Amino acid sequence: MNDASLAAQQTKSRQLYWILQIAGWSFYTLLRIFGAATIAHVPWGKSALELTIFGAAGLAISHWLRTFMRRHKWADLSIPKLATRIVIAALIVAIPLGIATQMTDVSAMQDVGPELRKYAPALSVNMSVTIKILAQIANWTALYVIWLAIYFAVVGLRGYRTARLKQSETARALQLAELRLLKSQLNPHFLFNALNTVRSLIADNPERAQSAVTRLANTLRYTLSSRQDELVTLSQELAIVSDYLELESMRFEDRLRVESHVPDSVAGMHIPVMLLQTLVENAIKHGIAELPAGGLLRISAVLQDEVLILEVENPRPPARIPTAREGVGLRNARDRLRLLFGDRATLELDLSKAAVATARLRIPRQQ
Amino acid sequence: MKAMIIDDEPPARRELRRLLTDFSWVEVIGEAGNVEHAAAMIESLAPELIFLDIQMPGGSGFDLLTRLVHLPQVIFTTAYDEHAVRAFEVDALDYLLKPIDPARLAEALGRVKSARTTQTPQRDAVLEKIFVRDGARCWFVPLREVSLLSSEGNYIRLSWGKSKPLLGRALAALEQRLDPNRFFRANRRQIINLDFIENVELGVNGRLHAQLRGGPEVEISRRQARLFKTKMSI
Repeated sequence: MNDASLAAQQTKSRQLYWILQIAGWSFYTLLRIFGAATIAHVPWGKSALELTIFGAAGLAISHWLRTFMRRHKWADLSIPKLATRIVIAALIVAIPLGIATQMTDVSAMQDVGPELRKYAPALSVNMSVTIKILAQIANWTALYVIWLAIYFAVVGLRGYRTARLKQSETARALQLAELRLLKSQLNPHFLFNALNTVRSLIADNPERAQSAVTRLANTLRYTLSSRQDELVTLSQELAIVSDYLELESMRFEDRLRVESHVPDSVAGMHIPVMLLQTLVENAIKHGIAELPAGGLLRISAVLQDEVLILEVENPRPPARIPTAREGVGLRNARDRLRLLFGDRATLELDLSKAAVATARLRIPRQQ
Repeated sequence: MKAMIIDDEPPARRELRRLLTDFSWVEVIGEAGNVEHAAAMIESLAPELIFLDIQMPGGSGFDLLTRLVHLPQVIFTTAYDEHAVRAFEVDALDYLLKPIDPARLAEALGRVKSARTTQTPQRDAVLEKIFVRDGARCWFVPLREVSLLSSEGNYIRLSWGKSKPLLGRALAALEQRLDPNRFFRANRRQIINLDFIENVELGVNGRLHAQLRGGPEVEISRRQARLFKTKMSI
C-alpha cells in the first residue's frame, strides 16, 4: 500500500471515530434528559444542563482512554487479556463518575414517589448512600464496557480488512514478478527467428523441420515449467541447451560451431535451472550473431575442490564500444545465484582475452 | 524490379526468396549476409528494392542505410524489432515481421509498386532522399527540404526544418550526387539550397551574403560569387 492511500485511510478512520463518538454520546445524553424529564419529572432546563455536562465528561474520558490504550497497544492483546483490561479500565473511570453523579441533584438516585413505587417496587427506596454510589458506579462501568467493546470491534474489523487487502496486494506483486521472470526467459527474438527457420525448413527439408518443431517444443516446455528456485542436474540442463543450440545452428548454419567438454563425473551435479541456458543464449547473442563469420561456442565443466566450474566461451566481435552495463540475463542470473547460494556461488564475465569472452560460473557441490 | 535480400540467416533468405517467386515482377538479383557485403553489392548491382533485416552482424540495417549513396526502396524484415522500425518518423518505408505473412508481403510490394511509378531511381541520377540517423532517431530526409549542408570534419550537418542531424559522410563525396540546379557550393565548408535563399546582400568586404529562410546567413566565397551571380542571373 502506498503512503497516499495509507494517509487517506487514516483520515477516514479518524472521521469515523469522531462521528461515532459524538453520535453515541449525544444519543445517550438525549435519552437521559428525556428520561429525567418524563419519568423523574425534573425540569427540562436543569436536566439538560447537568446531563450535557456529564455527557461531555463521558466523551472526554473515553477519548483520553482511547489515547491511553493506543499508546499501550491494547489492540494487539489477546482476547482474554483485552477483556480483563476492558473491565478494569471501565471500573476505574466509572468510580469518580459514579460518585460525581450521586452528588448531583438530577442524576442522583432519589426516593421515587409513591405512585411509581407501586409499579416498580424494585426502584425503592431506602437504600443507603453507599449502595446508591455503588449502583451509579455499576451504571457507568456497564456504559464504558459497552463503549470499549464497540471500539475494539470496529478496530478489529478494520485491521482484519487491511490485512486481507495487504495479503492480496502481496500476492499480486508476486504474480507480477513471476510474469516478468517468464518474459525475460522466453526470448522472443529467438522464438520468432526459430519459427521463421521452421517455416523455411518445411519446404527445404521436411525431416529437419519436424525435428526443429520437437526441439522448439522441448525448449519452450522447459522454459515455461521451470521455477525460479528450482535445481536440476547438469545433464538435464545440457539436454535442453543442446536442443537450443541445434535450433540456433539451423538458423546460423556454418556460422555456429559448438564444442562441449562435460565429463560424466559432473553430469549429476545440481545447478539452478535455466542458468547455463542463459549463458549460452548470451554467448550466441553477443558473440556468434554479431560476427559475420560466426565462430566457436565452447561449453566446459570441471569439479575443483568441491566447486563446480562451468564455462561458456564465445568469440568477441572486434572493436565494439564496450558496454558497461550488463545484460538483463546476466543480472537476473546473478540475483538468482545470490538468493540460492548467498556468496558461495559466483558468476563472472571474463573479458581479459581480446578475442574471446568467457562466462564463468562457480557453484558449490550440493548435498 | 530488381531486388536484394539482406539477412544474416540463410534459412530466412531462402524463405523470402521462395515467397517472392509469387511475384514475377520482382527479380532477386542478390543476397547478402552482413552489412559490409551488402553495402558493396548494393553499390555495384544498384537494386531498386532491398529487403533488410535489422539485426545483423557487424552493424544493423540502419547502419547499412547510413552508408549507402545509392538509396533503394527499403522494406524492413524483422523477427522482433518492430518497435525499432516503428520509431521511424517516416511513412516512406514498410516492415514485415518474420515469419512473413504472404498477404502482408503482397501488401508491402503493392505499396512499393505504386511508389515506383512516381519515382524511378536511376543509377547516376541525383539524390532525392537520404537516410539519416541521429542517436536513436532515423529519417529518410528528402533533400529538397534541406536548406544547408555544413561540413564538420568528416561529417555533414544537415539543416532540415528544426532538426540538425549529422551525416557520416564527407561533403565533397556527397556534392557530386546533389542536384546542381538546386544546390550550390557557397564556400569551402557549406552547400546551400537555392530554393531557400530569401535575399542576397553585398557585404562591406565585397563578398555576397545569402540569407536563408529560417536559417543562418551564409557567406559566399569570392571564388564562387561570380558563378553564383551567373546562376542567379544577378
